[in-house]
Parts: sequence; C-alpha cells; structure tokens
Amino acid sequence: MSALGTLVLQELGASLRALGKRSVLALIGIAIGSSSVVAMINIGSNAAEEASMIFKGMGVTTLVAQLPESTRVGSVARLTLDTDQLRAWVPNLLNIAPTAQTGSSVTFKGRTQYTQLVGSTAELPGAMGLTLREGRFLSAFDQGDTYAVVGHRLAEDLGTAADPLRIGDRIRVDDYLFQVIGILRNQPDSLLIPVRANDSLFIPLAGMRRLNDSVHIRDVIIRVAAQQDISATAAALTDPLKRLSGAQDVDMMIPQQLMEGMTRQTRTFAYLLMALGGLSLIGGGTGVMNVMLMNVSSRRREIGVRMALGARRRDIRNLFMFEAITLTAVGALCGGLLGIACAFTYANVSGWTFFLAPLSLPIGVLSTLLVGVFFGLYPAMLASRLQPVEALRDE
Amino acid sequence: MTQMPINDYLIRLSNIYKSYQHSDESLSILNNVSMTINKGESCALLGASGSGKSTLLNILGLLDCADSGEYCLASHDIFTATPDELAAIRNRHIGFIFQSFNLMPRLSALDNVALPLRYRNTPRNQAQQRALHMLAQVGLEQRARHRPADLSGGQRQRVAIARALIGEPSLILADEPTGNLDRRTADEIMELLLSLNRTRNVTLIVVTHDPAIASRLDRQVRVDNGVLQEICPCPR
Repeated sequence: MSALGTLVLQELGASLRALGKRSVLALIGIAIGSSSVVAMINIGSNAAEEASMIFKGMGVTTLVAQLPESTRVGSVARLTLDTDQLRAWVPNLLNIAPTAQTGSSVTFKGRTQYTQLVGSTAELPGAMGLTLREGRFLSAFDQGDTYAVVGHRLAEDLGTAADPLRIGDRIRVDDYLFQVIGILRNQPDSLLIPVRANDSLFIPLAGMRRLNDSVHIRDVIIRVAAQQDISATAAALTDPLKRLSGAQDVDMMIPQQLMEGMTRQTRTFAYLLMALGGLSLIGGGTGVMNVMLMNVSSRRREIGVRMALGARRRDIRNLFMFEAITLTAVGALCGGLLGIACAFTYANVSGWTFFLAPLSLPIGVLSTLLVGVFFGLYPAMLASRLQPVEALRDE
Repeated sequence: MTQMPINDYLIRLSNIYKSYQHSDESLSILNNVSMTINKGESCALLGASGSGKSTLLNILGLLDCADSGEYCLASHDIFTATPDELAAIRNRHIGFIFQSFNLMPRLSALDNVALPLRYRNTPRNQAQQRALHMLAQVGLEQRARHRPADLSGGQRQRVAIARALIGEPSLILADEPTGNLDRRTADEIMELLLSLNRTRNVTLIVVTHDPAIASRLDRQVRVDNGVLQEICPCPR
C-alpha cells in the first residue's frame, strides 16, 4: 500500500504540472476561501482576547456613574459629593472617587504641553487601581493645596532625559504653580474609565474652581466589594446619586454591558467573515471542479488505457480524487499563510496584539480539504464510470 | 507449435450479437459470431474498416460488452462478471498492444512497464525489478529512464509490448501493432511478438489488414459485415 502511495504521489506532481495554468485560477479561489476562514478565526479570537484584556484592565468590580452637564435649575455647578452619605445609603462601596476634568496647557521650565486636568480625591487610586512610581497621591488633607500628581507619559514629556521631572518641581497651570508630590507608573488605558491616567495631571478636586469656575463633577468612579452583584449595585446607586448631585439623570456604565456590546460586534464581524469565507470556498470549489472536469475529459484516452491495463473503477476515482485533493491542499496551505498574514495586518491596524489562534490553521485547512473532496468527487466519479471502450475511442 | 489438447481452449465465443443504437435504427455490428481459440495459438483478425473487427477485439479484450451470447475467457464467464472482476481479468489475463502505443507520456519507460503491476498492489521495488527485466527482454534496458517522447516509434512499441507482458497474461491482443511503423521496424516487432508467442506459449490475436503479417500467424479469420470466416484454419 505504501509502495502504491509513493507511486501515486510521484505521478501527482507530474499531473499537477500538467494541469498548469488552468489550475492556477482554481488555486487562487481556493486560497482566498481558505485564507478568509483562517483570517476569520484569528481576527475573531484576537478581538475577543482584546476585549477581555480591556475587561481585565478595568477590573470587574469597577463602575462609572456619569452625571450630565446640565444640573437642575437653580443648582450651581458643584465640585463636591457627599461620599460618606452615599456609603451610608448604599453598602459595600469600597472606593468612591468623584472626578472633574478640564483641558488646559501646563508649563514646566519653558516646555508647554496641552493636557487633561483631573480634579481628584484621595480615593481615586483605589477606584482606578493607580500605582505611584515616586512620591504619594493627593490625600484628604491636600484639597486646599496646590499639589499635583503627574501621569507617566506627561511626566516624560515635561521632563527631558537629562533633566527629568522630579518630586518638588513646580508646574505652572494658568497663573498657578502646582507642586509635584507624586508621579504615576505607566497605566494601561481602559475603555470604560473616562480618565486617561498616563496623560493627565491630577490636582485636588476642590482646587479645580481656581482654574475654571464652570467645571463640575462629571464622572464618579466607584469600586464595589468583589462579591457584590455589580448590576444590582449600579441600580441601587442611581437614586442616591441623583439626590446627592442634583443631576436629573445618571448614566451608569458597567463593564459587562461594554463587554456584551463588544462581543456582539465581534460576533457580527465573525459571521460576516465566515459567510465571506464560505462563499469564496464554494467559488474555489467550483473552480476545482471545473479544472478537474477539463482534466478528465482531456485524459479520456489515458483513463481507457489504464482500465485496459486493469485499473478498477476505484483506482480511476482515487487517481482523480488525489489530484483534486492535492490541488486544494496546495491552495489551503497558501490560503492558511495568507489568512494569518491578513489577520496579523488587521490586528496591527487595529492596534491589537496579534497571537495565533491555535485551531485556526487546522480548521481552515480541513474545511478547505472537505470542499476539495466534495467538488472533486463528481469529476472523479464521472471518470471512473466511463466505459473502457468509450474512453479509448478517439474524439 | 506446441501441441495442445483440442478442448484446451482459452477463448470460447458463442452466438455473440452486438449492435449500436444509431438515432432510430439499430446498426448490427456483430451477427451471431462464434469462435474458439486455444491456448498458445496465434490468430490474425482481418477485415476492412467498419467490418466489426475492432468491436470484436474490444469484446475479446473485455473493453466492450456484447448484447447477447456467451463468452468464456480462461474459464471465467464474462457475462456475469462485475466491473471489478472484469478489471482483474484484464489485469491478470490480457495484455493490450495498441496501434498508437498509448504509453503514459509523463511516466518513464520503466514506470510505464510497471503500471499493470500497480493495479495488483505489487510492492514498488519488485514491480520495478520485473519491469527492468521485461525491458531487457525487448532490448530496451538502456532506455528505462527515458520518457516515451524520447523514444522512436519502434522503441515505444517495444515498451508497450513489455507492458503487455509484465503481468504474464495468457492472451495478447494487438490492434494493428505495426500500423504506425516503417516496414523494417514492423518486421522486428512482429518477429518479437511471434517469438513471445512461441517461447512463452502466450495466445496472440493480431488485428491487421496486411496479408503478409496475417500469413505469419497460425490462423487467419476474416470479419466481413459482422460475420466470421476462417480463411486458413490451423493445420492440426
């Protein structure tokens, strides 16, 4: 049987070469089909992985309450929130960090950067999971002081390699000098949390009024005790937050919702790609069938001679099946590599980290081979059903 | 000519009818053909084109099926055999030699000769050894690695003869084996076929319309409008 196999394989190379230019088109079709299946699986799993990275980054216990710009008629733009009262009303809140943000330019030793000012309280590091490289964060006793904590990237931009930003340096914001008391570690951005820690300058919340009197608390970042049902907590928080802030409406953002949205989007995209992959596989399959039908009809005489020499129907069928499968296998392998390249490019363009979905290649190649078998079967059966005398007859 | 018992036949055709359906009318090709050929005999099939001799050869070679009658080849009843059994009988008992050689253009002479053994699942090494031995017998062992395109017409037909013989068949069917060859080469090929017939005791049936070739065989049978006519019965 193995001797038969090697002989068959030896002849295969020759026959594929003989199929020649005709087979190139079929090969392209098959390769596109196979590559879209492989790319689909890789992009889908990379998107899912990316989504779960975001999920990990923000932590499952964090939620964000967004207070709208417009406050109830008569109430002033406020920069305080009674967190003790909120904690009393809603149990199991670990950290409550109201923030207010405004954009402003900051200057240090003549270098100016446009940056985001984040009015924060001492609870923000706990709520966001911020860690410090140097110094300390703003404490509850700093609210009246002109102290500032600098985000990782902002610190790098304001300092130079020779003269880095240090604790105790003073940064000018408008007409005020803020003293640096802490510098943050590099912090991954999270889709959910509206504070981009790396690029921000954190100053006391109460001190925001000095710089801009229309600024108000917009986001309240809350960390809930781990065992709590976060959706139920979010629902319980809505009314107390309305009462305390005077806002007409409170928007609660919880990680699950965001995740669901992302997975839905990913799934739609994956289905779209899957349909595309399936269609081009079918297209490629008909290409294979076309090439094989032409192959069979141009080699009728050879089929007849082989039958005269004692080839059974299944020998003839196998001969053409092997050729169809070789053709699709070559296409499937090219397509597999192309698909990985596409997924890699897509991941790069999307700014994701690429990793190879382990099942993508086997699934892609296998489904392509199945298509090859399916579309190769008819021409092969046709060849094997020829009567020897018909096959041998000259055209 | 080795003497054979008279009833030791290889081929027995009786009352064979064959017709082709052509639009509305059916065209009768073979009309009540009966014939017996013994083991080791050589026989020429003569006849004008369209006389039905090719159809007779196809039926003898199990490439075509008669409409009715009986055909017994090497004690196999052909009418009740399945396609796979027919393939096995062709593989084991019949060697074909065609006018246009019909070698596989992409295979070397050696692989062409070894091809029938592949359909018996003979191990490759063994098949190649036997093929090389066969090529040596037809004087072509030096050309084993050549493709058919690199061989002359006479050499190609020798390769085809080696291919027909490798399975050690009991019957060789040659369809105008010298039709595409010049006179001298044709003589050589006929000489080779006849010597194989004598030395290996292989039954040889040759379709030809060359009386000179036909006269070198034991029997001469003329096919005329679907009817057989023995011209020169085997002197026995």
